[in-house]
Amino acid sequence: MPKAILLLALCLPASATGVHAQLEYHARLGAVGASRLLRDVIVDEITVRQSIAPMIALGATLPVGARGYRVGLEGTLASGKFHSSESGSDTDLGTLRIATLQLGLEGPIYREFRWRVGAGGIRYWPADKEGIFREGGTTRFLAGAGVDYRRPVLAKWDLMTSLGYDFHRFSTDELEARNFSQTQGVSRISLSVGLSRSAR
Amino acid sequence: MTARRRWIAAALVLVGAACGDIATPIRIDFYEWRLIVPAASGTGNDSLTFHWPKDRLPVRIWVEDAASLPANVPPAIAAWRRAFLYDEFDATIVSDSASADVIVRAGGAPGVQFSRVRLHSALASECAGATDLDISDDHTQLRLPVRMYIDPRSDPNAPGLPECLALTTTHELGHALGIWRHSGVATDLMFADPAVAGPSERDLATAEVIYHLTPNVEPVGP
Repeated sequence: MPKAILLLALCLPASATGVHAQLEYHARLGAVGASRLLRDVIVDEITVRQSIAPMIALGATLPVGARGYRVGLEGTLASGKFHSSESGSDTDLGTLRIATLQLGLEGPIYREFRWRVGAGGIRYWPADKEGIFREGGTTRFLAGAGVDYRRPVLAKWDLMTSLGYDFHRFSTDELEARNFSQTQGVSRISLSVGLSRSAR
Repeated sequence: MTARRRWIAAALVLVGAACGDIATPIRIDFYEWRLIVPAASGTGNDSLTFHWPKDRLPVRIWVEDAASLPANVPPAIAAWRRAFLYDEFDATIVSDSASADVIVRAGGAPGVQFSRVRLHSALASECAGATDLDISDDHTQLRLPVRMYIDPRSDPNAPGLPECLALTTTHELGHALGIWRHSGVATDLMFADPAVAGPSERDLATAEVIYHLTPNVEPVGP
């Protein structure tokens, strides 16, 4: 799946040369928060969570059809701490960088509001190969949706505010090696603000 | 089913997929690690359990430059860190023995002093090991440093000596991190006379469990 998305990412700019005038692209900064990565029980319950992390998002879209729909590709990168909690005590487990790449479809809701849905992949890069990431990071399938608000601020530029939700199933090679079975559902919510270059 | 209901059903399926928890493994394959000593009151026995508290991590280890100890201690630390998923244990090599939590020396262990507990290990012909624990009379405190002795009893060029020194160092570090008793299974590194190169799954599971139980012995000093 990540290879297919990468291929699309490479093809999109090439195919867009003919429709450059219709290409819209955007960049946003924001923050992302996630539900727990892991719930474990050794003696008491242990949970692993990521802290709310700063996030950057970059993307581009092209129109499809005449009803205001657009397809696009968006990548995000977030970097923050993660920690375990047990009996009210937290342990810092280090830094975790998380990247996503989603192929999406968006359409109008009402005036400046637009919906979007997407699917792609999420990659976890731990700063240190320790603990649950002893065998390295992990790549998982990702699906998401969101609402964007765009307000024109210049002739070709819109202020873009985006509220996003995505989810994936989390596990790592180390957890699988230790007989954790199934995977952990992880939901993420992001809020970001940036600029979008409009095709109008 | 109307299109609206299909969308709602699809959304519910997605929400359900997003909410499920990972299934945790059942950790039951560990062995008795507690040190059983005569109770301080004079009647019955006392079982002592210890692990390094978070606020003392990383454990400071001073290593004598002999008997391949500088080469063997870091891999021993790494071998035991494999037991832990949540940063429960870490150790670092320090240059000042006066501030060390654990002192690793080459050679035979000296005579046991009063109030010390000695855990003998690796009684192979090539090398031997011992770990001294200085436990207070009321069995509530471990006076630091913990002292480990790795004794190359044979000729330095004897076959099997490097392997013996390496596994004995890892074995003694297992005592220093809190496994205060020997396993009864020969395939465990914490067997009294170990023959395996590194901690077994049972050794690692035992170390992991220790660090999630409340100890009744706390470290003091140095």
